[in-house]
Amino acid sequence: MSFISWQYFIFLPVIIISYWLLPPRRRLLLVLAGSYFFYGCWDVRFLALVLATTVIDYNCGLSIAGRKNRPWQVLGLALLPAAWCLGCHLGLPAAGISDNLLLISVGLGLAFFGAHEAIGLLARGRRPKYYLVLSVVFCLAILGFFKYFNFFVGSFQSMMGVVGVRANWALLKIILPVGISFYTFQSLGYVIDVYRGQSPVCADFLTFATFDAFFPQLVSGPIERGRNLIPQFEKGADFRESHIQDGLRLILVGLFKKIFVADNCAILANYAFASQTTLNGYWAVIGVVAFAFQIYSDFSGYTDIARGSARLLGINLMENFKFPYTSRTPSEFWGRWHISLSTWFRDYLYIPLGGNRGTRWETLRNLTIVMLLAGLWHGADWIFVLWGAYHGVLLILYRVVPPFNRIPDKDGAWTWRDVLAVPLMLLFTLVGWAIFRSPSVSFLAAWFGALGHWDSSLGLSWESSSLWLLFHILPLILLQVLTWKYRDEATLTHVPWLARGLVYTLMILLIVSSGEQDKEFIYFQF
Amino acid sequence: MRRLITPACLVVICLLGLAELGARVFFAQDISGRFDYGYNPQAGFAERADGTVELFRAGGRRFYPQTFQRPRAPGVFRIFVVGDSVPRGAGLKKAYPWLLGQELRQHDIRAESINLAVPGYGARRCQIVLQKALTFEPSLIILHFDDYNKWEDEREWRRSQEFKGWHPRHWLMKIFIFRRLYEAKLEKVFWPLVPEEIRLRYAVNDADAQVAAGQDPKEIAARIKLAYDTAVQNVAMVRARHIPVILVTQCRLEQDGHHRLYLTDHGLDALGKSLAGPGVYHVSMKEVLSGQDIKRIFANFSGHLHQEGHQLLARALCAKIELERAALGIPAPSVTVAERPQEAKTAAPAGPSVPRKP
Repeated sequence: MSFISWQYFIFLPVIIISYWLLPPRRRLLLVLAGSYFFYGCWDVRFLALVLATTVIDYNCGLSIAGRKNRPWQVLGLALLPAAWCLGCHLGLPAAGISDNLLLISVGLGLAFFGAHEAIGLLARGRRPKYYLVLSVVFCLAILGFFKYFNFFVGSFQSMMGVVGVRANWALLKIILPVGISFYTFQSLGYVIDVYRGQSPVCADFLTFATFDAFFPQLVSGPIERGRNLIPQFEKGADFRESHIQDGLRLILVGLFKKIFVADNCAILANYAFASQTTLNGYWAVIGVVAFAFQIYSDFSGYTDIARGSARLLGINLMENFKFPYTSRTPSEFWGRWHISLSTWFRDYLYIPLGGNRGTRWETLRNLTIVMLLAGLWHGADWIFVLWGAYHGVLLILYRVVPPFNRIPDKDGAWTWRDVLAVPLMLLFTLVGWAIFRSPSVSFLAAWFGALGHWDSSLGLSWESSSLWLLFHILPLILLQVLTWKYRDEATLTHVPWLARGLVYTLMILLIVSSGEQDKEFIYFQF
Repeated sequence: MRRLITPACLVVICLLGLAELGARVFFAQDISGRFDYGYNPQAGFAERADGTVELFRAGGRRFYPQTFQRPRAPGVFRIFVVGDSVPRGAGLKKAYPWLLGQELRQHDIRAESINLAVPGYGARRCQIVLQKALTFEPSLIILHFDDYNKWEDEREWRRSQEFKGWHPRHWLMKIFIFRRLYEAKLEKVFWPLVPEEIRLRYAVNDADAQVAAGQDPKEIAARIKLAYDTAVQNVAMVRARHIPVILVTQCRLEQDGHHRLYLTDHGLDALGKSLAGPGVYHVSMKEVLSGQDIKRIFANFSGHLHQEGHQLLARALCAKIELERAALGIPAPSVTVAERPQEAKTAAPAGPSVPRKP
């Protein structure tokens, strides 16, 4: 169920009204059931994966904190995904759960139970580390298999081909479960936090399952931290009008970004980055600018709708975007773009690798590793790795090479230097998006080549298309100017009520003018 | 709970409510039949109390604004031209239905030629227009036949049926002001600004499916057969009322692998010839336009013509009507065209009247 589908706009009010009518303890059950229903609308089979991640990290979290469940409880929970598969197998034949899949789910459940209990036999002081390893291994194995198996096998085959060895391994037909990268990282983050003592352990399975599968941020983030979200579920929220007002405003802004800006920019970006398109300089630029606004509006729009939906339930989700195209340096950009992911990589990878505490070379090495993995996180394709590497090089450039290393990346007052620094960083970002969006490396070379051919007789008329692009990005820029003051992309409360009413009306009209489109969000595929 | 409705929220509700109310009160005619996707037999024909019939345009796919008297005046030769965007032309006075009226009047025929063409209409929706048109005493029906819009006919039928249903998908667009805004953006911003190649390649609004259907040989064959069958039904329907028909078969400009331009009728001429008989006449667009400077008279590769092409078609149709004058029940001219006195020209009726733009 997509956030911009009509189904969601029936589902959401039903959940919200029921939520506030129910007594607090039952609310979590409702949210969990709603979350599973929301996710199951894509593919009920993959709910077993969400359940598996939940069960693994719940048990490991408890065990790390020294509050290990009894064996029969662990076994019962470990077999929950298998039970779900069995239920689907018997009750929903159309779901296509085969006997083999059923056996695999039982086998994995038993394997987890066995490993978990085996760790319990170790000395008390050594257990937490092994429980952490168990959680990381199981979660990353699931993620790796569903997202990267074919990529690595295919890459290995190609490598073997280069040295003259033919490896004819058949690739598996694996469907990428929606949002697997997001909920896996969120769940792993919780276990690591518990291990480090940075987050209290969640002893209530219902609360933890709700944290893991909370529908507003289940499929595309923000990747929340347990220490932020779990206490909110435990405490519960009292009904306040401001929850509804803020939630609706966030949803409206999100819909505006997604439907009016992103989907309309996508028309040009998809054309310019299609392998059969003949590019000239104009179209290379139009394409990448359109894509820059598309991906930003698409993802930040999603985040706004997610935050708005959660807010309607009295839950605060973290901000994920803060005017990223106004950044002066790459590190500032990553502090403003997909904040929940960049902070995840910072907290759970960059800092454990040593961060910037070692020598300069170690810092640069750590940055490169993190950015390569961040690129790979976005998709199983070398083009994403290249994009990550490009951002790694940018980060290094801005740390090492003068005059770039003199540009401050703190969010302070603007100086005359920003007048140059912001457009320069925007230019670097656009080049990055060209890498990200290119269907292949050869297309990317053609894109760079097109920048040297400013012949408008090649390709389609670019003038009218530029107007189309402007027509859709100008309202967004105006909205950003309005919201700049509060450093929150969706806060308009400082604007007088009459002007605010006019802005909301205009946004509604612009959304509906873009019609009955039901396009997927880009970040679902990650 | 009372604080849920903030002043800003009230402004939104009031503005949208007023806009919707205003649209429904002041543009009621615009709304009529708007959600029927061409499947409302009344849409576009408005009969007034004073006996006039008004054809109106609401910004969507409607007729050019024209009016005529419901009872046909004695001696007036009333022609209805039914078809798609090709006979509709780039403007009422630039398209062949209007030009034909002028030609006929110059040949001493008190002709009233009405353009009932609507862009995107295939044989199926043309049938609905035809059914209504037949109630207004036509002397001759010109059916401009093309098989190109069959897919669109079916899609719009599906949409009209869906739209009548309860499905929540359509709730938003049932608000008139929203639907109107959506259409306005599509027509006034999307079409003019986004190049056709992009619209067709990626497009929005099923164009991808339309393109895919247009390339599948099985789909093409099925579509053409349906279009042919419906065209045959349309001719039979007119003939059942003993009204003569001229079937104009469409041709289009295409380009071979060497970028040479040529005209093709996609087999429509054979259909036209097979249907020709007593009371059914055939005019092939390909035959009329062959030998002309086709690059100049065609506006694009889909068969649309510049005014010069429309003029050629109008002359060919006029010649056909002249030729079949007796069979069509048109009285012989009292004087030949060459001898016609100047005052005879001015005495002829001026054809359908065009309402002035508000």
